[in-house]
Amino acid sequence: MTMGTVFALLGAALSALLAGVGSAIGVGRAGQAAAGVVTEDPNKFSQVLIMQLLPGTQGIYGLLIAFIALTNIGIMGGDPNLTTSEGLLYLAACLPMAIVGLVSAMQQSNAAVAGIALVNKRPDQFGKAMIFPAMVETYAILALLVSILAIFGVAALH
Amino acid sequence: MAVMPMKRMTIIALRRDRKSILEYLQRQGEVEIDRDAPEDEFYHKIDVSGSRQIFEKNVQLLDTALSVLASYAPEGGGLLSSLDGRRILSLEEYESALSKRDKVMETARKIISLQKDDAEAKASVPKLEITKESLAPWKDFDLPLDHKGTKKTAAYIGTLPGEMSLEDIYVALAGVSEHSDRFDVNLIASEPQQTCVMIVCLREDAQDLSEALHRLGFAKAPSSSDVPAQEVSRIEAQIARAGAQSVTIAQEIAALAEHRDDIKLIRDYFALRADKYEVIGEINQSDKVFILTGYVTAKVAPKLESALNDKYDIILDLADPTEEDDVPIRLTNCGYAWPIEGLVENYSMPGKGEIDPSFITSLFYYICFGLMLSDAAYGFILAIATGICILKFKNMESGLKRTLSMFFFCGVWTIIAGFVFGSFFGDSVSSIAQTFFGVDKAAADGLLPALWFNPLNDPIRMLTFSFAFGLIHLFTGLGVLIYTDVKNGKVADAIFDGVSWMLFVGGCVMLLLTMPMITGMLGLDFVLSGAPAKAAVWITLIGLLGVVAFGGRESKSIGGRIGSGLYSAYGITGYLSDVLSYSRLLALGLATSVISSVFNTMAGMVGGALPVVIGVILYLIIFLVGHALNLAINALGAYVHANRLQYVEFFGKFYNGGGRLFAPFTAKTKYYRIKED
Repeated sequence: MTMGTVFALLGAALSALLAGVGSAIGVGRAGQAAAGVVTEDPNKFSQVLIMQLLPGTQGIYGLLIAFIALTNIGIMGGDPNLTTSEGLLYLAACLPMAIVGLVSAMQQSNAAVAGIALVNKRPDQFGKAMIFPAMVETYAILALLVSILAIFGVAALH
Repeated sequence: MAVMPMKRMTIIALRRDRKSILEYLQRQGEVEIDRDAPEDEFYHKIDVSGSRQIFEKNVQLLDTALSVLASYAPEGGGLLSSLDGRRILSLEEYESALSKRDKVMETARKIISLQKDDAEAKASVPKLEITKESLAPWKDFDLPLDHKGTKKTAAYIGTLPGEMSLEDIYVALAGVSEHSDRFDVNLIASEPQQTCVMIVCLREDAQDLSEALHRLGFAKAPSSSDVPAQEVSRIEAQIARAGAQSVTIAQEIAALAEHRDDIKLIRDYFALRADKYEVIGEINQSDKVFILTGYVTAKVAPKLESALNDKYDIILDLADPTEEDDVPIRLTNCGYAWPIEGLVENYSMPGKGEIDPSFITSLFYYICFGLMLSDAAYGFILAIATGICILKFKNMESGLKRTLSMFFFCGVWTIIAGFVFGSFFGDSVSSIAQTFFGVDKAAADGLLPALWFNPLNDPIRMLTFSFAFGLIHLFTGLGVLIYTDVKNGKVADAIFDGVSWMLFVGGCVMLLLTMPMITGMLGLDFVLSGAPAKAAVWITLIGLLGVVAFGGRESKSIGGRIGSGLYSAYGITGYLSDVLSYSRLLALGLATSVISSVFNTMAGMVGGALPVVIGVILYLIIFLVGHALNLAINALGAYVHANRLQYVEFFGKFYNGGGRLFAPFTAKTKYYRIKED
């Protein structure tokens, strides 16, 4: 086992960890707001549930990056011998998803909570309420993309 | 695929036909009636809020009765029965059922009063239980608890705080009274919290004892004129009676459940009348006639006109709306584009002069969704599930049917995208072949080859495809902008805002393709050179000139015009971010397939390590749970982001909305739909 593998695994773990934490916080916050709406009007359950789930995707993206990283490192079957610089490359590749995932999920939950309040007052505006959190998610998607491309790129190097 | 033309309708009719005409219009549901027509000295509005309130109260009462019935005698029918729409009733059936009105109201009142009785019976039980509890320590006491003593003696029956023995009590009494030797204490029960006692003394010492007991914190026993044991059995009988009563009431209410359908019908009847009276209060009337104005679609106007003329003595006038009229918008689209109307309604109805974007959006929306979910198996699940629901529930409400149809088409494109990019439950084919049939990895991966390529193996190619798709989407948006402007006679706007931007952006894209660095990054195997490269420069320059020269044409001064023209050229960065935004097609597509393969790998690791039978079972469990989760979360993602690409990137190019949705006066019933032939 080399130091490089340690760094690479650290990267994979961070992306699942930070993005997951962000989503957990985000979905939790939105869930509180959603539950409040349902106490008033149980019929809005499906609408506010969708709103609650929106900040949850960062956790999935984090898992995705972690998984791609794990397979490419060779932790999940293969030869996990990376040089230190290769390991650091993987770590760097995972960071966009890890950090942007954490922050964007929390920010997205603020937009989702506001959107839930909007749906509560004007259920007909659901389509628009959904777009505001989705705007925040764009940056998580961009980070996901950079991380994916970087991991595939690094994998092609060795 | 268009905004339906509207007619302005004016009806003048006799007041004696008012009820009948309004009911007819309500059942037809084709006319939007003006609610704010101005009054004049001849025509004025009348106040009918009193009758309306009565109807609304009736609706409320019947709703309460229905909810009571629902809790005492739940209605059958599974989850899917909610997909079935309102029951259809012919006009004759409806009108004949109305004679039951008074009987139904009586039944509803009876249901509610029975429920109140039941609630009271149920509420009395805990109170009785508490009394019974407080009598428990006295159960062996053989005098009534309100016994006050005899002619010569006074008796105090009650509790002292804390657990005390007989000696303790005498000691305590001695501490607070000089005559404690003249009191006779009988210990009834001693418990950790309290001690039950009867203390007897001569009448003349009663005052003394009372004061002493007061100091010790004496509390009187629960008052009852019976011997405790009898009292307890009396209470127990009461509790049993309340329970029995509650059961009988529940049976009585359940027996009334056979009237449920009638209650629903009468509820709808009162809801209709309440709506009708709302309209009656909004239209102008004189002593003998009323006048009603509103909008009707040009398509049904002639039919409605002749039907009304046949039935009633009326004056009906149809006119084209004027420029100042705030004409409501109703869209009409055929099959493939119809579900997208919901998407457009969610955004905003087309404003003045704008076209209905449903059709053009439908060309991209389903494909966007398909590319982001991009799994043939998920597509099959989506398409088959929605398809079956649509076919099975013929009577489904049209809003729901529209949504399900949308997901049906989304499912179809997901199937196509799944096969094009080689994903069926992710890499399940390969995973199963490797786990259970011992096929080696390379051969297993070749079992379900992608028709085009697998984005997991070549993400850059997919990214380039996404950008190209985005460019086509954006240019189509600009095309619609040009079309709308030309249609509205604003040819100059079409050229300046549409064509010059198309040239500018298109030229920039071509310029980028002349750079080997860019084409290398995008994985393209060609570089523009020679004539096309030269053309790219010219196209970009012409476009840029158009944008700079005319982008600020609103400004009065030359300086301001050049300034804002240059500023509008900065809008190219907006196009850059718009195109980059389509990278979500790649990212979400990859998310589906990678998470699928995570679950397949997990299932394979567990399933492959165990004996065959258990292995297959565990494999299936992980497989089903994992893919159900993945389908749910990624279908949601695909839906949200497909919407976003339309609303932000696509509509941003040409569509502002701001129109008002056509809201006809219609039968807003909950349970029945009345059909008129």
